[in-house]
Amino acid sequence: MKQIQMTKNPPFSLISTKKIIQMSDVWTSYDSKNFALEGINLSIDRGTNYSIVGQSGSGKSTLLKLMNSMMIPSKGIIKIDYITPNMNDKKFKKMMHTIGYIPQNLGLIKNTTILENVLIGSLPRLNKIQSLLKKFPEHEIKEAKRIIQLVGLMGKEYRKIYMLSGGEKRRVAIARALMQKPTILLADEIVSELDHVTAREIMDLIVDAQKRMNLTAIMVHHDMQLALEYANRVAVIKEGRKILEIGVEGDNIVDFQTGDMTTEEIMEMYSDDTKK
Amino acid sequence: MTPKNNIVIGIILALLVVASYNVEVSPVEFVEGLPNLMIVIEEMVAVEPKYIPTALWAMFETIQMAFIGTVIGIAIALPLSLLSARNLNSKFVYAPIRALLAAIRTFPSILWALLFVIMVGSGTFAGVLAITMYTIGFIAKLQYEVIETIDSDPMDAVSSIGVSKVQLISYVVIPESASHLLSQMLYMFDYNIRQTSILGLVGAGGIGFYIINYIKFFEYGKAAIFMLVVLITVLVIDWASVKIRDKYIIKSQHGMEVTTK
Ligand SMILES: Nc1ncnc2c1ncn2[C@@H]1O[C@H](COP(=O)(O)OP(=O)(O)O)[C@@H](O)[C@H]1O
Ligand SMILES: [Mg+2]
Repeated sequence: MKQIQMTKNPPFSLISTKKIIQMSDVWTSYDSKNFALEGINLSIDRGTNYSIVGQSGSGKSTLLKLMNSMMIPSKGIIKIDYITPNMNDKKFKKMMHTIGYIPQNLGLIKNTTILENVLIGSLPRLNKIQSLLKKFPEHEIKEAKRIIQLVGLMGKEYRKIYMLSGGEKRRVAIARALMQKPTILLADEIVSELDHVTAREIMDLIVDAQKRMNLTAIMVHHDMQLALEYANRVAVIKEGRKILEIGVEGDNIVDFQTGDMTTEEIMEMYSDDTKK
Repeated sequence: MTPKNNIVIGIILALLVVASYNVEVSPVEFVEGLPNLMIVIEEMVAVEPKYIPTALWAMFETIQMAFIGTVIGIAIALPLSLLSARNLNSKFVYAPIRALLAAIRTFPSILWALLFVIMVGSGTFAGVLAITMYTIGFIAKLQYEVIETIDSDPMDAVSSIGVSKVQLISYVVIPESASHLLSQMLYMFDYNIRQTSILGLVGAGGIGFYIINYIKFFEYGKAAIFMLVVLITVLVIDWASVKIRDKYIIKSQHGMEVTTK
């Protein structure tokens, strides 16, 4: 499949270094019978905030797992910063170090402290001895504390995870990802369970981090309103297919997938989708 | 009460009577034997107090044997449990190790003791080895079951950073399963003290060795004193481990439960 990509006209502009993620006709499945994703095409610009919205079971989490190589497509082409995801490829493995992934339940180690959780983000930078002895270098500890302060948890470094509130736990997960010095942040419904105000605090934090470190954020959301508020682009997934890609330009919602839908039609389409 | 239930209860009662006849369970003999207990108590009171320090020392030796066996057993069981967890290894690794552990578990500790008495001669060392084997079999199984039920989210989040397997184990698997481990260690130590108390019956050291010898020479009073020491020790240790569990383990697990959402 790689050969096809090289010889034929590529589906995306592969010359530009602007694209950080590209998918072309990607299919994937958990069992051999049903496809969880069917023919996904997308392309994400570096430094943007890209949202994925859709009903439960539509394939949003699966789409994220393709981007950190937890899943492999059964068909189609994926490029992450122009490299095909493959855990056995040294070059890609190195890239994984800088892809922050926050799963739906955050994946924090509950019985350990905030600092210990955040330091996990620096594990790829440790040598064997340091990581075996759990002896993190002084500058990494300093960096971890700086990031903990950045996400608003200063003074709570030694609190255990199970003592924290939902919003605080999300801050820890973000801090662990930032500790990776990431280029990409993948977050699966990170604010879905939060109240309106806390959800926006967390989103502001991510947008702020994006500005600081030219980070591309790819986030699964439940709430279309919130997605439109923060994202440059919103992809709508339905039953494993991408049915819409929209963005806000001025007062209008623009359709980027087909380019021929009006704001009204788009909103109508989406509200139809959620009312069911 | 349905007729079906009545039939089941009837069958169980019938089996009880038949089995009791076969193995000579006789309530009459039990009642007739009760006065003998009084004789033992009388003999107990007549025993010279100088035997009590001996009994305490024998108990202390037993506890030390149990301690060594438990610690070494756990030290060997932990790596084995990591190798036999299905979510960390391929079939070719976990299947043979699980088979080995299952084989180890088929022997009760007293049979291990017998085997080691034959191998290394009678004495405390054989007893320690027996307790070690028993501990390996059980802790490894309990622990790989805990590892297999670890939440997949932390595993996914950390392994997708691209960390090594050793890092995944020491930073995710072990911390996530540690609270269970602590409570299992305590339980195992508690249980091993009881087990070690009887290993002396086959010559593998500990307080049971004294008890069986006194019984052989019809010194029931002395045997009873030693048994009483076992009883009191087990009660104390039981009480202490409940306290420790309440204070350190249940609390943290409870904290985790309350805040999972
Ligand atoms: N581990 C899995 N094994 C089998 N099927 C799965 C697994 N995870 C998800 N699926 C299926 O794949 C589809 C998409 O799931 P997912 O990506 O989790 O949806 P979403 O995140 O949008 O709720 C669903 O039909 C779901 O049942
Ligand atoms: Mg999901």
